[in-house]
Amino acid sequence: MKKYKVTVNKNEIKKYRRVFHQMDYTLVITALILSLLGIVLAFSASYYYSISKFGNPYHLLIDNITWYLISWGVMIFLANFDYHALRHFAVLAIGVGLVLLTMLIVLRGTPLVKTINNASRWLNFGISVMPGELIKPALILFFASWFSAQPNAMKDTKSVLMCFGLLGVIFLLIYKQPNLSTAVIVVSIGAVLMLLAGLSKWFLVGGVGAAFLGSFYLAFIDKGYMHTRFMTAFDPWADALGDGYQVVQGLLAFGSGGMFGKGLGQSIQKTLYLPEPQSDFILPIIGEEIGLVGILGILILYAILIGRIMSIALRAKDTFGCYLAAGTGAMLAINIILNILVVTASFPPTGVFLPFMSQGGNATLVIMALLGIVLNVSRQAKQPEEDE
Amino acid sequence: MIVKGEEYALKAVKQQTSDSIVTADRGTIVDRNLNELAISATANTVWVRPSVIRSQGDDLQEQQANMVYEIKQLAEILDMEEADVESVVMSDSQLLKLKKSVEDDVVAELREAKLAGLEITDEPKRYYPNGAFLSQVLGSLNDDGDGLNGLELYYNSTLSGIDGRWITNKDNKRNSLAYGVDKYYDAQDGYTIQTTIDQTIQKIVTQKITAAVEKCNADRAMCMIMDPKTGDILAMAQTPEYDPNNPRQPLEADAELFEEMSSQDQVAYWNKLWRNFCISDVYEPGSTFKLITTSLALEYGVTYLNDTFYCKSVEVADYTLHCWYYPNSHGQEHLYEAVENSCNPVMIELSKRMGSDRFYAGIQNFGLTEKTGVDFPGEGNNILQPKNQVGLATMSYGQGIAVTPVSLVSAISSIANKGYLMKPRLVKALLDSDGNVVEEFEPEIKSRTISEQTAKEVLGIMEKVVSEGGGGAAKVLGYRIGGKTGTANKPENGGYSDTDVFASFMGVAPIEDPQLVILVIIDTPRGVLYGSSTAAPCAHDILEEVLPYMGIQPNYSDADYKAMKKGKLTVPNLVGKSGESAVGILSGMGLRATFTPENLTAANVTIIDQFPKPGTQTVSDSLITLYYEISEDIIEEEE
Repeated sequence: MKKYKVTVNKNEIKKYRRVFHQMDYTLVITALILSLLGIVLAFSASYYYSISKFGNPYHLLIDNITWYLISWGVMIFLANFDYHALRHFAVLAIGVGLVLLTMLIVLRGTPLVKTINNASRWLNFGISVMPGELIKPALILFFASWFSAQPNAMKDTKSVLMCFGLLGVIFLLIYKQPNLSTAVIVVSIGAVLMLLAGLSKWFLVGGVGAAFLGSFYLAFIDKGYMHTRFMTAFDPWADALGDGYQVVQGLLAFGSGGMFGKGLGQSIQKTLYLPEPQSDFILPIIGEEIGLVGILGILILYAILIGRIMSIALRAKDTFGCYLAAGTGAMLAINIILNILVVTASFPPTGVFLPFMSQGGNATLVIMALLGIVLNVSRQAKQPEEDE
Repeated sequence: MIVKGEEYALKAVKQQTSDSIVTADRGTIVDRNLNELAISATANTVWVRPSVIRSQGDDLQEQQANMVYEIKQLAEILDMEEADVESVVMSDSQLLKLKKSVEDDVVAELREAKLAGLEITDEPKRYYPNGAFLSQVLGSLNDDGDGLNGLELYYNSTLSGIDGRWITNKDNKRNSLAYGVDKYYDAQDGYTIQTTIDQTIQKIVTQKITAAVEKCNADRAMCMIMDPKTGDILAMAQTPEYDPNNPRQPLEADAELFEEMSSQDQVAYWNKLWRNFCISDVYEPGSTFKLITTSLALEYGVTYLNDTFYCKSVEVADYTLHCWYYPNSHGQEHLYEAVENSCNPVMIELSKRMGSDRFYAGIQNFGLTEKTGVDFPGEGNNILQPKNQVGLATMSYGQGIAVTPVSLVSAISSIANKGYLMKPRLVKALLDSDGNVVEEFEPEIKSRTISEQTAKEVLGIMEKVVSEGGGGAAKVLGYRIGGKTGTANKPENGGYSDTDVFASFMGVAPIEDPQLVILVIIDTPRGVLYGSSTAAPCAHDILEEVLPYMGIQPNYSDADYKAMKKGKLTVPNLVGKSGESAVGILSGMGLRATFTPENLTAANVTIIDQFPKPGTQTVSDSLITLYYEISEDIIEEEE
């Protein structure tokens, strides 16, 4: 046998090593597991509904996989895209976000705006666009670039007022859709970033107090739409066929699943008892099929993911990266907590998606894009000094 | 760790599981020859899910448009008012009945239209193919599909079968799931009941009594025919009948009156309409009961066929009981003549000779002291006289007692069945839906009433009553028929009506081997109101058709041939006869009777003169005018 001498380009090895070594395996693998779980569980939850609505059990599965492929593409792209360049798009992003939100209000009633159950949350550009979802990364990007550029912004009353003004406008635009939960989530993400940037803790106290007063007013004094929502949260059975319907059906699903579930695919609540089982109320279906144990497993994955994102935020090379990562972590955490509160009848039922699990193209895209940015933040934080 | 899990799981199962009833088909009711009298078929019901109809489409406008379209379609296809459909669609209920009894082709059209939120179920419906026929025997069903009255009620559990169940997981639109629980317990269909009724005989009887009501200008008429050998009720008819397909619809003649009734009166009206007279009601048998007294007297050996009696008023306790013929007397008479003459003192004498214990025991033996146990709901209780001398005496000639027709027919049937009393019955067998016999009921002997010899003797007397006496109107040429007429004043306000009677005829045919016992009752005939002139001719009309139908060949006697020649007839002497006998005798000879004065209102009259005079030669179908006087009351309190 002849022996060949293998010649290796050392630079090539270095390059690949850099890509893989500098990749945040924990984050990528956790996100991958969650994505695949999401695809499988959402398919299980959706196929019956899909047959009923589209005559094809795979319609929503294909839809979901398509969005995931696009989203992962976007994530990979952003993971290799220097996040500092994003700074240039910050104003543009928040501007586009605000314009899209305004369009929902202004163009309501035209074919451009899709209205379902009296809520105008979608713009119809051939594909559905949810400005309420898109404003989340835009706000994170905008605040991150602002606060990193002006480290003392939150000590400056004018800047603070401007921030609150912006959050107020966004809140009102989303609230008008109406979509209170998304409005609350967006404002919360903004508030988290402002606090990180040094906003006085008293604003936190005041803000939480105001939120309490506000919800108290809406729930008990105004006695309007939110009143019923609020009461439903405490006793969904009181109106099990009306406002409490989804929550009740969700609880029944949890109860049927018990500790270990009926087995994947075996949910009955998904057979149109829950109107869109693959959407915001997917967690009960997951509970019915793989039980409390399965849900706890998913929660552990979430904890790993968010913990990892937060550690990246702490290790970020600069405050811009820190804010981007922290905003992403906050967004995921708030969504997950709110979703769980809603489906377990601990919070008024409003439309909050469960990251990775709930099927929804826009939300998936936004999460993956942000994760891509976070991966890039992570890579740059780990990069050895000499390579920079 | 898991809170309320089981409670929720249970609620989920409740909501997801459909426990639907697989309805068992209700059994058919057939006559003894398997002709269908009541059958079950399915009728479609259209249900709607209002919320589904209201939420087709993505936005409000689309939903509104779809809903309006569907309401329009439903109204058009189902031939309903749009407003009515709309009110159902706008309801908060989950599932509502939109229309009942929808035809199959309409259902096909509905399915074709592919409308959302509709469900079509087929529910059983009962059909009585003959309409208003045998209705008081068959009965009908209530809204739940259970027997309301009649055989439908008595045999409800047999007919209804056992519903099955289908337990399955369903989605929120009630479609079955391919997975989850799926258990099917098949329904056990109800049995077919084979009645003892013969549809043809029933039809003849119904037709004839309807005609009799018209002819006699009576309130109503009833008739039952029993096979004495088995107790099978071959026919049981009464007028008027109702349509069991629609049991709550009043008779056409009463429609207007019914509208004005209070709901309480309407219920009373229905109950009266649905009531089976022959089983649930009692009537005073009058002279027909004398057959029982005579049978018992012969059986106990206190008299014999050629025994002679003298007709005179009888003292009983503090009362003096007269013959209906009083102040006239039948004079010296043989036993059979006494029966023929319906002589009351003879009956009293016979009962006295038996003694109250034996007489009562005999009546008990004839099954007249208790319910017969016929397989029918709501059998009436016979009312007998108290066990004292007056009670005994009046009862001997059929007064002051009231019996159900079915019990009297059964009692007389035992005479026609060599003394064996059969339990009357309306159902002889249960069949499965393929017509295989599941259970056959054996005829049941209840008791031995009289000996074969006595039975033969009584039948002989009954034959004479028809061939020579007041039962003549029932005579059918070529057949040996026995019988006895009866005319009893109807009870009214605690006493007796002067004008209203139950006129009846009890017959047995043919005498040599009795195949049937017939009772015809005419309720309140007007004009000539005797059993002999109303019930007996009706019985004749019935027997004339039923006997040949039953395959009994006529056997003409010399007398029959003579009568058939329609030769000259000699007018008989009717002076001194009762009005009842006179009419019977004349009809038996083929002559007609007319009374003067014309408005004959009292039951008990005696003929005092006639035209033409006795011995006059006349031809068949001639009119004989009878002059009469009203007899005294037969019970008189001693002063």
